Amino acid sequence: MAAVESTQDELYQRAASTYGAALERLARAYEADAEIRRDLLQEIHIGLWRSFESFEGRCSERTWIYRVAHNVAASHVLNQRRVRSQALVGLEELENLPDASSGPQAADRSQALDRLLRLIQRLKPLDRHVILSYLEGLDAASIAEITGLSAGNVATKIHRIKNLLARQFQQGGHDDE
Amino acid sequence: MMNELENPVQKLWQCQPVEGTKMSLDVIRKRAAKFERRILWRNVREYVASLIAAVLLGSFLIRAHDLLSRITFGLFLAGMVWIVVQLHRKGSMKKLPVGVDTLTSMRFYRAELERQREVVSSVWSWYLAPLVPGFLVYTVGYAIRFPRPAAWAGLLLLDAIVAGMFYLIWKLNMRAARCLKHMIDELNGAAQ
Repeated sequence: MAAVESTQDELYQRAASTYGAALERLARAYEADAEIRRDLLQEIHIGLWRSFESFEGRCSERTWIYRVAHNVAASHVLNQRRVRSQALVGLEELENLPDASSGPQAADRSQALDRLLRLIQRLKPLDRHVILSYLEGLDAASIAEITGLSAGNVATKIHRIKNLLARQFQQGGHDDE
Repeated sequence: MMNELENPVQKLWQCQPVEGTKMSLDVIRKRAAKFERRILWRNVREYVASLIAAVLLGSFLIRAHDLLSRITFGLFLAGMVWIVVQLHRKGSMKKLPVGVDTLTSMRFYRAELERQREVVSSVWSWYLAPLVPGFLVYTVGYAIRFPRPAAWAGLLLLDAIVAGMFYLIWKLNMRAARCLKHMIDELNGAAQ
């Protein structure tokens, strides 16, 4: 029991030190309210610590961490949906947004980041998960493993994300994954 | 594997300032234990409330002098036991298996929401209807025992209040069902 607890603690501490910043960014993408976001982040950390009790190494630690964190955050979004009414949309619907007039280079970085966050926070949980994984720099195969989507589906979504980001932030990149 | 940061938006995202929130293992253990205690106490409270109601109705049943009163309290008691059993069977939320992928978790949440919608949509049959026989027998018994217009008027008022409460509970649950339907539709698109 003590050995299990020690492994659980070690795994958690390693995850927190390696992915702490990514988890904070993830919480920011799932919750706009700073006060509630702090609670969500704590919930993610607690969820992660508890999850390592049953971690058997069937997938990589990184995959496990992202899965657990996103599941806690998605559950939070669904619970919040009962009190907030803004509709969540899919990537396809966001493609119809009008193009932005200025990009991150031209505009203030924090404004661009706010805009990016607002865009992400409008997405449905699964699309939000894909776009966040892409923004964290994960490749299509890793995203497919974490989300459970097929590689082809992930590639399509990443293509859409790239086009969307290019149009919204005026970079002009339209390359396929 | 990580991609090269090919996209300036990826850079913008990853270079955003973070607070560097850290939680010690001690704090995490305490919070986790507190959460488990909260769940335990919630369950204990529900069972204690049901037990108190059952004891009260049981004592009324035993102390009742006439057959109609006994039948009334017996029906109320049976209805309440039925509701508690249904609440326990239908109401308790299943736990999402740990570490599953997002698609699986979305399907799980959709199934859970569909189950909850079914529970609130059918509130009439498992929550309200079991109390109706008790109220009917009570109404008939009271009307027989006190055959006066004034007593009947009071009884009618009481029945109207109970019917109004039933209607309100039903309406609120139908609204909850519509809200759940909306959430399920959103998840249907998300979990394709």
